[in-house]
Amino acid sequence: MRSSIDPHVTQAPPGQMFSDDRLGNMRCHPHMKNTNKFSSLLYFAITAAATLLGGSPAQAKVDLQFWDMIWGPPEYIDTGKALVAQFNQEHPDIDVTYRSVPWSNWYQTFVSAVGAGTAPDISTGASFQAVALYDQGAILPIDDVISEWRAAGKLDDFRPDTVEVLKFKDHYVALPWAIDIRIWYYRKDLLEQAHVQPPTNWQELKAAAQALTNPKADQYGFVACGDTLGSQWMLTLMLNNGGGLFKPDRQLDLTSQRNMEAFHYISDLVTSQLVYPPSAGYHDDDSVSAFSQGKGAFTIHSLGLPGRLPKIADKIEVLKPLTGPHDDKGTVAWVNNIMLYKQSKHPAEAKIFLKWWSEHEKDLWTKGHATPLPTRKSFTADPYFQDNAVTKSILENYLPIGKSFATHATGIFPKLNDVEGEGVLQALMQSLLQGKGVDSSVKAAADRLNSILEN
Amino acid sequence: MAAQSMPTQATQLSAGEPPVVGTAPKASIQTLPYLLLLPSLAIIFLIELYPLLQGISFGFHKGSLLGTGAFVGFDNYLRMFRSPAFYSSLWFSFIFAFFTVLISYTLGLALALFLNLDFPGRGFCRVALLLPWIVPAVVSVVSWKWLIADRGGLVNIILSLFGAGPIYFLSQSGWAVVAVIVIKIWRSFPFMMLSLLAQLQVIDKSLYEAARIDGANNWQLFCHITMPHLRNISIIQAILMVIWSINDFETPYLLTQGGPSNATENLILLSYRYTFGRNDVGLGSAVALFTLVLLMVLATIMMRQQQKTH
Repeated sequence: MRSSIDPHVTQAPPGQMFSDDRLGNMRCHPHMKNTNKFSSLLYFAITAAATLLGGSPAQAKVDLQFWDMIWGPPEYIDTGKALVAQFNQEHPDIDVTYRSVPWSNWYQTFVSAVGAGTAPDISTGASFQAVALYDQGAILPIDDVISEWRAAGKLDDFRPDTVEVLKFKDHYVALPWAIDIRIWYYRKDLLEQAHVQPPTNWQELKAAAQALTNPKADQYGFVACGDTLGSQWMLTLMLNNGGGLFKPDRQLDLTSQRNMEAFHYISDLVTSQLVYPPSAGYHDDDSVSAFSQGKGAFTIHSLGLPGRLPKIADKIEVLKPLTGPHDDKGTVAWVNNIMLYKQSKHPAEAKIFLKWWSEHEKDLWTKGHATPLPTRKSFTADPYFQDNAVTKSILENYLPIGKSFATHATGIFPKLNDVEGEGVLQALMQSLLQGKGVDSSVKAAADRLNSILEN
Repeated sequence: MAAQSMPTQATQLSAGEPPVVGTAPKASIQTLPYLLLLPSLAIIFLIELYPLLQGISFGFHKGSLLGTGAFVGFDNYLRMFRSPAFYSSLWFSFIFAFFTVLISYTLGLALALFLNLDFPGRGFCRVALLLPWIVPAVVSVVSWKWLIADRGGLVNIILSLFGAGPIYFLSQSGWAVVAVIVIKIWRSFPFMMLSLLAQLQVIDKSLYEAARIDGANNWQLFCHITMPHLRNISIIQAILMVIWSINDFETPYLLTQGGPSNATENLILLSYRYTFGRNDVGLGSAVALFTLVLLMVLATIMMRQQQKTH
């Protein structure tokens, strides 16, 4: 904690506070001996405190709290801290404290902090976090930052629509910083063993899975999971088929023909016994482990899958985006936010940090190996991305077809956060993975989703 | 005039009167106990009553995690009673509590009767059988998860030795329900066993001796001596176990998160999901308050049953 001292008290140079000269001077008027003793004691106490606490008495640093979600392996956190240290060095009047926040119960973490009045000044977060918290009065819009950058031409560096997608009720609620996207991966070695060509559409995918499934060898075409990642399987196939969760008027559209085709396709894969049986009870880590063991030849995951399996990274290939039954291509993607909070006592400084962080965060990938993709075109032009075959394939083939699961709806809205967080989509995917009836499962999910949206 | 003196303690005692020693004003003696109770009452109010009243209030408002919201009367309760998820979680809560209480009590009673016998290693057995209760919930549930997760889990390996399985306990709704109940029973039977064993040990042995002299067999001894002595403690245990089972958050949450397909979602998990997943504090509070009322009704019924028996 830094505090200023009385500017009328002259601070002694360090090391000279208790010098004989200073003490001698204070003893030169005997009739003021007692007063001088007290004054000198007070003086020494103040200067000692100032020295111990550090800092120049004339300057007061602005403290900012920056909460950053864990977007990659351990080196990501170290890189984040180093970047913050660099900012602090370049901005002596601002002191940013970096805090790494785990994803577990992330929403409760932030709403608890906001509710308790201890929200950070700035944080990164999920794609609908800013709009959900803005609707509850917790987020500081950054219209001025956007206007400034638009005038300076700096918004051109962002991928198309990534800035506009974070506009809600005519206000920009966050700055985009990364794109999280889902990719089809396959085990190159298993396909080569079975003499199967990488599929290009849904029919070929099923046929390839059939050729690769051998229950006696505990080997299947697919390995999936029943948690949030599993629900993203469903969303990927829905969007691949030109579907989506919402209509343009933001009404639920779960039972559209294109969505139902995607659900029936998943169900067909399960009832044909092409999906590793424990998948419904699996979490992300379980499915990654099973994929590494060759239990399933195809899976859907984020950009970071090969990095999580370094021992078999050379056996993992990115499947080119599949063509759906109606010749559509698509996959689910999210634009991750970096946002400011209304509780910040220093919004001006927070905006300075926001702009600096956005322009300097390339290290988060090149050194920190962050798993989502950058929203800035200048970052993705870096050799780190261009020289990596997997990443380059994703940038060229998947990024252009990435869509939000609310893709047909007009803009983002707060209920998207509740839809993602409540677990309905996970339960629906679990039902499909168990081979339960599609119509009844979808109806139950639609009823529950409507109860969220109608509230 | 002779000075009147206060009666001495000795004269009082000799007269059979109670000694008058340092008599304080009557009002101070009456208020002091309540003053001493105030700190405890304040703490109880702060950590129990105030949150309870707040929770009840939330149930009548349309609030989020960041604000109480507008008053909506019974709207949250109507939405709750119209929700299929509520009835499926109520059903699961019921069967979860029923089978947990029934089987953990039966198992606890059997083990208590066994441990009441005198045999070598009895002390070790008593301690070992307490371990499921002592081990923290996170440790025990995660360990069980590894045992039953998939084909490579120990349970499926054992099943394969008998030519059965594999059973994917966490990937099928029916088996997930069984798994959650079995794990809860495993964690609960030591409490039943310990309480029943304590009660068994205070039963007068002469009753058994007298009954044997009269020709009673083991079953008659159990029915007419043992069980009557265990009735009160059994009812109390049942009340507690029903409450703990219906309120159990950690077992289903850590094992299945209420899945697959919400098959293991009890009322508490549903309340949690409404509140923190859906940001609907009003609906979550309504479910929580319903659960509280349900448990109070059950506890009242059982305690009346105990009073009748007593």
